[in-house]
Amino acid sequence: MSTKPPAPPSPSAERLQRLLAMVPWIAAQDGPTLAEVSQRFDITPAQLAADLEVIWLVGLPPYTPDALVDVVQEGDRVWIHYAEVFESAHRLTPDQAVALLTAGASVLALPGADSEGFLARGVEKLAGVLGVDAEQILDIDLGAAPPEILDVLRRGASEHRQVRLDYYSHGRDSRTDRDIDPHLVQAQEGSLYVVGHCHVAGGRRRFRVDRIASATLLDTTFPPPDDDATAEVFAADDGDPRVVLELSPTAHWVSEVHPVEAVEERPDGSTVVTLAVAAAPWLDRLLISLGPEARIRSAPGELADSARRAAARILARYR
Amino acid sequence: MPAPKLERLLNLTALLLAARLPVTAEQIQRELGYPEDQAAFRRAFERDKDELRSMGIPLRVERVPGRMPEVDGYRIPREEYALRDPGLTTDELAALHLAASAVQVEGMSPTAGLLKLGGLVPTAGGHEIGVRVANLPADPNLSLLFGAVSSRRPVRVRYHDREREVDPYRLEFQRGRWYLTGRDHSHDEERNFRLDRVQGSVEVLEGPTFEGPPTATPGRARGPWALGGDAVINAKVQIDGPQARWAIQHLGPDNIVSVQGEDSVVVELPVTNRQAFRSFVLGFLDHAEVLEPPELRDEIVAWLEAMAG
Repeated sequence: MSTKPPAPPSPSAERLQRLLAMVPWIAAQDGPTLAEVSQRFDITPAQLAADLEVIWLVGLPPYTPDALVDVVQEGDRVWIHYAEVFESAHRLTPDQAVALLTAGASVLALPGADSEGFLARGVEKLAGVLGVDAEQILDIDLGAAPPEILDVLRRGASEHRQVRLDYYSHGRDSRTDRDIDPHLVQAQEGSLYVVGHCHVAGGRRRFRVDRIASATLLDTTFPPPDDDATAEVFAADDGDPRVVLELSPTAHWVSEVHPVEAVEERPDGSTVVTLAVAAAPWLDRLLISLGPEARIRSAPGELADSARRAAARILARYR
Repeated sequence: MPAPKLERLLNLTALLLAARLPVTAEQIQRELGYPEDQAAFRRAFERDKDELRSMGIPLRVERVPGRMPEVDGYRIPREEYALRDPGLTTDELAALHLAASAVQVEGMSPTAGLLKLGGLVPTAGGHEIGVRVANLPADPNLSLLFGAVSSRRPVRVRYHDREREVDPYRLEFQRGRWYLTGRDHSHDEERNFRLDRVQGSVEVLEGPTFEGPPTATPGRARGPWALGGDAVINAKVQIDGPQARWAIQHLGPDNIVSVQGEDSVVVELPVTNRQAFRSFVLGFLDHAEVLEPPELRDEIVAWLEAMAG
């Protein structure tokens, strides 16, 4: 017999789950305040009052007063007695275990994380009751970065201080110095990025942390960003040249990974896409790795010939 | 008058948790204020059972001992239901909460799990991780495989149009994707499976559990060239220019063959995915060259010659 993953909980299942967690917790305390219970269980005081009303009616046959759970409320505190049947919470489902252990393991895998701090101990205890060794069964890598550089960026983002970067631009294949207002650090597609306002580019950009050769925290502060910095930061520049590519069906992923401006699907499964090219080496890389799966249909000036020239340049090394 | 549903579900859970012997449907109907009409009772009871099972509550159906004619009853075994108290301190619970707000697996809320552990606790002193992570992608097989990895049960996986039996050793999240690492029975060696390429639903096999997997080296990132199902070929690559520094830092000391100054390095990589290896090397444009073996070097040259025309 195979086990099936459970379906997402319905609203009533969610409330039932909450009560099955809340009753043992309150019963194990000595009269927590209603405010603390509401906060811990993420509900309003009115919802808590409604939940306590229900708990009152719960117990075992014959459901006479002496067989029911006892809820005592005094002032702003609450006690639960005679709830032996609910003395333990229900164990975590695989979904819940994955969600928590993954979050913990991810944060612990960030460069420079404290491997003996509260989180590390919490994850170890949790894994212990789940009967697993988290380090052995979950290996999470959000992206590499020198811890000292990551630390400067995190401090810059939380103290709103500018940071000077020595940055290698992969797209342009060049190294530059630039000052940025770091808004946040995020992990995406296997790399860590700092997103912020770049004073050289004059707009919001993202920088891969592992391509930063050095980062210096400056004394200049900046006002916190008033919008969500995770918003799209790769909006193409109107001035960038456009190329039109024909992609074979196997190269369909290009339009999912790169910001394409127009996609035309053809009956044979191939697609025709329009891409803005902010930097020529970026286009070279894309075309070189796609090989026969992509063909330039139209491109301005030198770009039309870029794949051939890049291939010839690399070949020169091998001869 | 039927009891309100929530109260009934709580009392049903209590009744079945407290029961030493399986409780028959007839007793349940009588005790819990279900409708007296048989059809209405059946419908309501089926829904309630589904609800408990959807929460992962282990609702067992067992023969009631000593009853003739034979009759089935229901029970929630306490030892399968109860969470052993992990004894988390407030600080540890707060740290887990903070981590869960920075990193989430799509579609998997951390809240229900945190509530079972003692609720949502704010971090004292407003410590920040300073990192907000885009959601990690979900995968329909993720929880199932986590369960199989935890309980050391082999799984049947359909991958590249072939059924394979695998001892699932661990789940890895590398380069933005989930992988399963395990021993493929038909090859008797460790392989990686990209979860988004697993076809259909994984099947957890009943029967004997497997022996513990070899110890993993945690935190060892693997490049895309090492995440494939091909036989291993060791490739030597020279990388120079501004990215040599990146290679030295990120490929790890085990892979570095020699460093020539700050701007040039030779690395050795265990390649199990040739296509990914080719893309990786060509991504350096003319700042990288495959030195060995001739087989892989020739492959790159042929690829480039076709493009250079």
